[in-house]
Amino acid sequence: MNDEKTKPSLDARRTFLSKLGLAATCTGAVVGLGAAGALKTAIAKSESSSSGGQAKPGAAADRKSFPTPDYDWNKHEWAFGVDATKCIGCLRCVEACKRENDVPANAHQFRTWVERYVYLADDKHVHIDSQHDPVNIEASGSEKTFRFANRYKDKKVDKAFFVPKLCNHCTHPSCVQVCPTGATYRTEDGVVLVDETYCIGCRYCVQACPYGARFFNEETGVADKCTWCYHRITKGLQPACVEVCPVGARIFGNTKDKQSPVSLFIRNSRVQVLKPESGNAPNVFYVGIDKEVN
Amino acid sequence: MPKHIFRLIALIIGFVIVAVIAVPILTVDSFYRFGHYRANSVTEIASEAPVYQTSRYCLACHTPRVALWSANSHKTVACEVCHGAAEGHPAKGKLPIPKDTPKLCTLCHEAMPARPRTQPQIDPTKHNPSGQQCTACHNPHSPKIVISAAQVKGDVAAGKKRAEEACASCHGAQGISDNDIWPSLAGQKAAYLARILAAYKSGDQKDVVMTPLAQALSDADIQNLAAYYAGLNCGGARSTKLAGNAAAGKELAKNCAGCHGETGISANPAWPDIAGQKPGYLSNVLKSFRAGLRKDPMMAGVSRGLSDADIENLAAYYAGQSCKP
Repeated sequence: MNDEKTKPSLDARRTFLSKLGLAATCTGAVVGLGAAGALKTAIAKSESSSSGGQAKPGAAADRKSFPTPDYDWNKHEWAFGVDATKCIGCLRCVEACKRENDVPANAHQFRTWVERYVYLADDKHVHIDSQHDPVNIEASGSEKTFRFANRYKDKKVDKAFFVPKLCNHCTHPSCVQVCPTGATYRTEDGVVLVDETYCIGCRYCVQACPYGARFFNEETGVADKCTWCYHRITKGLQPACVEVCPVGARIFGNTKDKQSPVSLFIRNSRVQVLKPESGNAPNVFYVGIDKEVN
Repeated sequence: MPKHIFRLIALIIGFVIVAVIAVPILTVDSFYRFGHYRANSVTEIASEAPVYQTSRYCLACHTPRVALWSANSHKTVACEVCHGAAEGHPAKGKLPIPKDTPKLCTLCHEAMPARPRTQPQIDPTKHNPSGQQCTACHNPHSPKIVISAAQVKGDVAAGKKRAEEACASCHGAQGISDNDIWPSLAGQKAAYLARILAAYKSGDQKDVVMTPLAQALSDADIQNLAAYYAGLNCGGARSTKLAGNAAAGKELAKNCAGCHGETGISANPAWPDIAGQKPGYLSNVLKSFRAGLRKDPMMAGVSRGLSDADIENLAAYYAGQSCKP
């Protein structure tokens, strides 16, 4: 009894639904195609107007030289050297980096920093501190300026040294791998950058970095990191930290130029990288560190 | 084909079509140009303006300063390390000249474990106990204090003969001056005596009495005289007529100890001993350094802030010290 009543009505519903589905797909396709054309022209217009009057010559020059007319990233492969035996822990690099890159003026967010490793005679453990340690902040007198307090002067020190640190601009960066939006990427000349307009601030990359080189910038609301001063190196300048280092502990250059300072540094000294087991293939090369540094 | 399979396939095809259409609409043009990122963002980042302008930027206007700096040991310290980033300078105004130099200089030069041994380092409590500005003695653009302490090779007997002819009437037969105004020379550092006599002779140092006398000396005479006076015994009656307060002078003298030693016996042969020296002479010399009549870049710096009373106190303190180390 039930069958007789429901079968025809079920059939009718199926035919109705399938026709509806077909109609929706067709209208969708038509509307979509039309809208695609319209939107595409609109976007093309807005992109060309935002890049200004130079759009056409820029586009022509782009073929030869990217990202800027004066700089071709295919001719460069950047690398960084750190000679920890020279570092005096003056922290001029840290202050210069903050100023150059508009990093928030506080004592816990840094694109580059310096660590101090101290081995005391009567202590098995290494003592490690950095410029944001409260004792060092007290010595500097402000959260905007940095200095290392002379806290070990009355201790019996076996060995001690400073190690400057920064983003390693890995050949296989884990931060790029985990970014869900393509907001962070590695350029053709070997620099890992953040596209602030595409970053959604999820902080996956901050977690993924094995070196702790990234942080979340609360002022901009996006992930922040060292760019090797990409805006400087593409203009023929040195990164700000390299520029201000008074003792030449930081070395920077193009490895495609075999006579550049960094090529000579890598070739003429026995260099090592931090955490080689991570498989990230870092591009910051260290001299004068020991096994406690990673 | 069963109907429901057909519908499933149709649905998937529909999604694919929508996706193919939507992806180029929703991603900007430059997104997949080089990879899974927006190529234009590279250009945007590369076009930002640098804040630090490098020392080459300073050269154009501050040529003499840059020349001095680049010829001396601070040449590895870029201008902007001490003066701050030059972005907007000179349009936006002057760059600062560091005021708190003991704090600034010790960033690099405070003796500290972990600092490499090649780095020049000082203990601020010993090197600069009174906390005066580092720039009082050190020129920041040419910080090394270099005074050549040339070896003095003179003949003492010849020096004695020349001294009796030319110097003894004022500086005393045994190099101990008779009055408070003229300096005693007995036991003084030979290298200092030779340097100062040569300066009188060349005109670098001027004095109504000393200039013509020194001009009459040959280079050999200068060496002989320096050797002779350096060998004399510096003892002798100390001045008792002191205008200043020696205790107050002792406090001030901490500023001088770096070069002249705690009690006025200097460590470097090029710098004069001032212990047991005539107080009138000491105060006159300090006043002429302060006034710029006597030329010395370092003494000009340290004497600039001294009052007349300070000078008398210092003179009293040093005059009362034993000239023998």
